Order: sequence, then structure tokens, then C-alpha cells
Amino acid sequence: MAARSWRDHLPQGSRGPHRLILVREQDAQHSGSGCCGRLGEAHTDLGGAADYRHSRVLMQDIGAVYREVRARLPDLTVEVVDPRNTVWLYPAVWQDARAAGRSARECFAGLRRAGAALAVILDGEVLFSGRMPQTADVVAAIEQRLSGS
Amino acid sequence: MPAFYLIVITLGAFYLGYRFYSKYLAERVYALDPNFKTPANELADGVDFVPTNKHILLGHHFTAVAGAAPIVGPAIAVYWGWLPAIAWVILGTVFGAGVHDFGAIVTSARNRGQNIGTLSGKVISARASTLFLLIIFFLLTLVNAVFGVVMAILFEAHPGSVIPAVIVIPIAMCIGQWVYRMRGAVLIPSIIGLVLLYAAIPVGQMFPIHVDGLADMLGLSVRTTWVILIFAYTWVASRLPVWLLLQPRDYINGQQLLVALAVIFTGVVVGWDTITAPAVNDVAEGTKHWFPYLFITIACGAISGFHSLVASGTTSKQIANETDARYIGYGGAMGEGALALAAILACTAGLGSAADWNTAYASFGAASGGALDHFVTGVGHFLSNIGIDAALGASFAVVVVVTFAGTTMDTGVRLQRYILEEIAELAGFKALVGKTSLLTTLAVLIPLALALVPGGDSSGGKGFAFGQLWTLFGTTNQLTAGLALSVISVWVMARNRNPLAAIVPLTFLLFMTSWALILNLLDFLAQGSWMLLIMDAGIFVLTAWLIVEAVTALNRQRRTA
Repeated sequence: MAARSWRDHLPQGSRGPHRLILVREQDAQHSGSGCCGRLGEAHTDLGGAADYRHSRVLMQDIGAVYREVRARLPDLTVEVVDPRNTVWLYPAVWQDARAAGRSARECFAGLRRAGAALAVILDGEVLFSGRMPQTADVVAAIEQRLSGS
Repeated sequence: MPAFYLIVITLGAFYLGYRFYSKYLAERVYALDPNFKTPANELADGVDFVPTNKHILLGHHFTAVAGAAPIVGPAIAVYWGWLPAIAWVILGTVFGAGVHDFGAIVTSARNRGQNIGTLSGKVISARASTLFLLIIFFLLTLVNAVFGVVMAILFEAHPGSVIPAVIVIPIAMCIGQWVYRMRGAVLIPSIIGLVLLYAAIPVGQMFPIHVDGLADMLGLSVRTTWVILIFAYTWVASRLPVWLLLQPRDYINGQQLLVALAVIFTGVVVGWDTITAPAVNDVAEGTKHWFPYLFITIACGAISGFHSLVASGTTSKQIANETDARYIGYGGAMGEGALALAAILACTAGLGSAADWNTAYASFGAASGGALDHFVTGVGHFLSNIGIDAALGASFAVVVVVTFAGTTMDTGVRLQRYILEEIAELAGFKALVGKTSLLTTLAVLIPLALALVPGGDSSGGKGFAFGQLWTLFGTTNQLTAGLALSVISVWVMARNRNPLAAIVPLTFLLFMTSWALILNLLDFLAQGSWMLLIMDAGIFVLTAWLIVEAVTALNRQRRTA
């Protein structure tokens, strides 16, 4: 039996040869650790939206990239993940970077920059971390990398 | 019996539950359709609606539902013996939490990702939305009260843990500056933060913090002094911007949860400890009996209504395929059950001999007042199995619990502020609207008053009512689960599927909750505990209201069908 890879776990129709990981905080994580501090969407409805405005801005910035990438590069696998999801994020970035032929040193450098409140990672390479330019420029950078691969 | 056997039995039962019962739920009850276009796909905007890999989403969902509550409940409930506690964790997870969490995701996903509050208004009745708001009000009041006491108990019993628990605050603030202001990546800072935090544990042991002097000056007990200091801290913390403390502390908490689970289970396996607690504890006549109190003492870890709030409205907006709901909802419930298992192991196999256990759990008051102390002592013992000093291990466990409890209180007070404002608006008290400081003060004073209610709990004659508060919190949490199960039941009936899988836990929970509330009511009346009596009566009214709403909605649906 063939070894299973992350692509086997993806929904049908999203198993392209390249993977884009968009890192940003999730709403579900917004109200503090522990079940008793999480009210999910009810938290936002009750007024929490104002508290987390800065995180929403980043979510919306990444959302714009997501929509643009989905429209222009439908075959590209796109994952959106919270930087606190360390169990998934770091192994995934490492695996993608190794699969793309990067050295261990480059892989470690990638890991160091991957977990930010906002990051754009293509095939294990961290294109933007912490800040990013306009959506069009981000998508152009992704397309440029893909055309060069 | 070796504690390891309990791990095998529990995880084996979870596996069978997932393999067979969740399959039944997926195929026969919720009738999952792999071709159904989920809200994540239909409304994909990359912000709220994002089709997400199920492994990623399980991580988000699990860390959102797991916290300190599945530790506290089981740590108290082993008072009745390890067998009732573990049996309820297994049965509750397999037939309650699994159905509830899984069902909340599916029901919400089939309703464009709406949350359970909105859905209850839509599926049950318009009044149910008000009911939801009131349940949340009681829930948050009790959450803040119990976690305030939890932290005070731990600081009093483990003064060596105060420095590491406090040092988390400046560490989190530095991470907050780095991540949100300087937009830096968090891997290295969070590792440094964790190392600094753990390095502070031996420092704390060398310089234990006692507040006896302050307590004497104020004429209060040490525990009361700690409770007041903790609520004063919460007032300040809840006024800070969330990016400064609340959010960055979450980066540390997430790692701590994983480290704690890993070391506890490793310690049990390496040490091959045996369970010294009795299977069923022959409790004294006249004390709280496990039936019905067990079912409200362990809420999180067996079934918790809080999960429906995360499952609906957020997780449901991100499932890429409807069939993923089984893995995420049922799987997340099992993860929480594993946390409860860890707490049961620590309090039944980590306290030393059977005589030590009997001393620790001599009465319900000692069990509840000392529950967290027992847990951290047990974890300390497990860590000693892997070569870490037991006192340092116990401090580590205190820091884990306190950072979760502190974050929960910070959020709880913020939310309570919003709810009080909403209630003030509804009631026409315009003077309160927009007064953040006043609202925060009220949000702190209400649970503080509850936390200071005298009672019979002690692990040294301190006389708090923690056990009673905890059971009230459990009833409110089960009430929230009841509301979600009502919505799920009505929705399943509307699809012409057999709703028994949801109706049975619903009926069980409402019956046990009502029974426990009535017993508590009589106790509080006899003791003259008026504040607890008012809380209990209020929750009982909400329960009766929910029963009427649920029966009416189910009957209406049955007639329609």
C-alpha cells in the first residue's frame, strides 16, 4: 500500500502539486484558552468584535488573498491555519520545504518565520511573514514562484 | 489495578465509540451527505467561511474546547470512587458529548453556519434566544466565581507557584508586543517564553509568596485575600487591549496543554503506578450521593454545553465536507474525555497510598476544596516518575491550571460586561450603557460575592462553598448542552430521522440537572445560604423554561411530521 501523504486527506478537487499555506488567527481561538472562555460566534455578537478588530483586519487581508488565489489559481491547494496550531503547521511547512528540495538549514529558517499572526507560505517557502504588500502583489509573487518551479 | 489499564480501557472504549456509534450517527441520525455543499464551500470568503483540511480544523476545534474545567470536575468526582467517575466520562463522551458536539456542527452547517443561540430562536422558539442569553449570564458568573476560587486555593497551597504563574504576564506582554506590534513570528519567542516560564518554577520554589501579612492586616483569611487579589487583577486584565495579554498568553497556553498531556501519560506509563483510590467510595450517610451529583460535577470531560458554542458558528463555517463533522466533532469530544481521564489518573493513582487518598478525600468538602491541590500533587508524582522533582512538577501543574483559569476569567469578565450592558439596555437602565468601568466593576463584584460565600468546603478549615458553586456551574453547563441537544433533536426529527440518540442524553441531562438543583435548593434553604439559593432558584427556573420549550418544540415537530 502506498504511503499516505497530506494530499490524501484533502477534499476532492484540491490536490494540486503545490500547496499554499495562509497563516492567520482564527475566530474560534479569539476568546482565550479553555472551553469556558470560548463562546464562539456568540462572543462576537455580544460585542467582542470590537476587542478583536486588529485580528479581523488580518483575517480580512488574508481573506482577500484567499479569494484572489482561488479565482486565479484553482488547481493550487490552499490551507488556512492558525499560528497556534503548531502540531499541524510546523510539520506541514517542514514537509513541503523538504519535498521542494530545500536544505535543512533553509527549512529551519522557514519554520522560524512561519508562525506569525499573518504569513504566506508556498511549498514550504515563507514568502511573507508578519506583514505583506497589497493583495495583487502577494498573488503576483505566488504566481511568479509557481511559474519558476 | 495499574493506572495504565484505565488508559487502555478508556481509550479502547473511545475507539469503539468512534468506530461504531459515531458511524451510526453519521449514517442514520445525521445522514451526512458527502455531496452536500457546506457553508465553507458555498460562501467561501477566506475570512469566516473557509473550507479547511479536517486535521487542521480538529486542532482548532480541540484547543478551543479543551481547558481547565475537564480537570476540576473529575478531580472532585473521584470522591465517589474511580469507577463512577471513569464510567461517566466514558458513557458521557461516547453517548453524550460525541452526539452533542458532532450534532451541533452538522445542525449549524445545515443552517448556513448559524450559532446555537440564533438556531434555538429559529428552531425552538423566539423566546429561546432570551433563554440562551440568561443561561450564558449565569454560566459566566459561575465560571468567574469558580476559577477565582481555584486560583486562590492553588496559590495558598503552593506558594512556590506564584512567581512562575505571575511571570507569565510580562512574558505574554512581550510576546504580544512582538507579534501584534512588531509583526514578528512567534516560534522562537514562544519557545523562549516557555523556557523562561519553566525556569521560573525553581525560582518560585526558592522564593514562595505568602500573603499572610496582608491577610492579617486586612483581617481576612489567606484564601479570601487571594480571591480578592485575583479579582482585582481580573478587573485590570479585562480592561487591557486583548492583544497585550489575553491573546499572546494563548500562544503559551496552547503549548502548555500539549506538554501537560504528554508528561502526564508518559509519567503514568513509565511509573506503572497503581490506583489506590477505591473503585466505589463508601461515602458517609447524609453526604452528597453520586446519583445525581456525579452527572453535574463532571460536565466538561463527559458532556459540556460550551462545546456547542464553538462547534456552531465557528467550526461549522469551516468544514470542507459534511462527513468531516464526525472526525472533528466526535474526535474533539474524545480529546476532552482524554483530559478528564488524565485528571482522574492524577487524583486516584498519584496521591500515594490508600490511606493518603482517604485523608485527601475524607469528605465532599475536602474533595471539592482540595480537588485542584490533589490534581497538581498527582501530576507532580507522575513527573517524578520521569526524573523531575515532585514539588517542581506540582508547580508546573499549578502554572498550567492558573494560566488557563486566568485567561478564562479575563474573557469571562469581558463577556459578562457585554451581557450586563445588553441586559441593562433591555431593562431600560440607560445609566449603565457605555459605562465600561462601572460594568466591569459589576462583572467582577457579582462573581466575587459568590466566590466568598461561606460553605463547608475545606482542605484545612477554610470554609468556602466551592463544591456547591461547582455543582451549580455544572448544572448551568448541562443546561446549555440541553439547549443544544433540543435544537439538534428538533432538526433531526424535521429530517424524518430517529432523534433518540439526541433525545436520550437530553432527557437524562435535564432530569439529573433538575434533580440536583432541587436537592441543592433544599440544602441551601436548610443552611440559610441565600445567595446560593437565589442562584439555584434562578437556574431551576431556566431549566423548567427549557423543558417546556423543548417539549413544545418536539411535539410541534412530531405533529408536522
